[in-house]
Amino acid sequence: MNAVPHLSWYLALSAVLFTIGVVGVIIKRNVISMFMCIELMLNAVNLTFVAFSSYFRDVTGQLFVFIVMTVAAAEAAVGLGIIIAIFRNRESLDVDDANVLKL
Amino acid sequence: MVALLFILFAGLAVGCAIAMVTQRNPLYSAISLIGVFIALASLYVMLAAPFIAAVQIIVYAGAIMVLVVFVIMLLNIEEEVRRRMRLRFLIPTAVLLAGVLIAEAAFVLYFVQAQPSPQDPSTSDVGLTSSIGTGLFTTYLLPFEITSVLLLMAIVGAMTLARRETILPEGALVIPGAQVITRATVDERDVGDATPVISNTTAEAARVMGEDDPHDLSKID
Repeated sequence: MNAVPHLSWYLALSAVLFTIGVVGVIIKRNVISMFMCIELMLNAVNLTFVAFSSYFRDVTGQLFVFIVMTVAAAEAAVGLGIIIAIFRNRESLDVDDANVLKL
Repeated sequence: MVALLFILFAGLAVGCAIAMVTQRNPLYSAISLIGVFIALASLYVMLAAPFIAAVQIIVYAGAIMVLVVFVIMLLNIEEEVRRRMRLRFLIPTAVLLAGVLIAEAAFVLYFVQAQPSPQDPSTSDVGLTSSIGTGLFTTYLLPFEITSVLLLMAIVGAMTLARRETILPEGALVIPGAQVITRATVDERDVGDATPVISNTTAEAARVMGEDDPHDLSKID
């Protein structure tokens, strides 16, 4: 097997991963599991960026991946802080239990 | 050979992703997600992006997942309970729509024949750390600075969210190292006198509250 992976292979893999992430966000009820599915979607987009960056020989895509990773780290810190605050108030991580914005 | 490696890592990524969604225990989900991150880092190496691959391992598989696993352990989450499914008639509709979507994607992938540019990593300096640094500090300096402001806001926000309300009154002098009991752990009906006690040590607090010294070893049988 001497074939070189096409750009379309990477795009297809990225689409599959993104779809799995979307399905996870829809079917999961645990906040932390939903959070991890969002991370999976961010990674699928990152794969697209890097594939196009390699295809066009342009570094811009990888710079965007770097910034997306920073945003993901900030999102993780704030999101987990919110999850801990929700758990303290409601003693539950089920999204159906947190259906109003007030405490 | 390269195609074989792609199939290996892509299969690993998709398998770990499906395992992550189907697991009911969040801890197993987190470990599967680490598998996805490592497979994606390998794909980044194949795409001649070694810096991004290293950052992927360090930031995602290292920092973010440690944070997630830490929160899972801290909150002591149990497995999700299976719920009764409502709206059963949506299942055949969903299968039908998914089939249409897959047919569409297959059509596009079959008829769009993208010619790959020769991907020889040795002749390309696109993914190297120096070219990324040059781009980050020249053309994209403004997004870089905005990102640093965002990180500062994230630090402040996370501290504000995770902070607990303490029992100390407004303007009280907080002594470093002193123990602070949170209001959540004290039921005011059980305590006769709800005025907070400020003390330097546990023994001093116990004396003020009229209890036995917890460090008095002579009372232990």
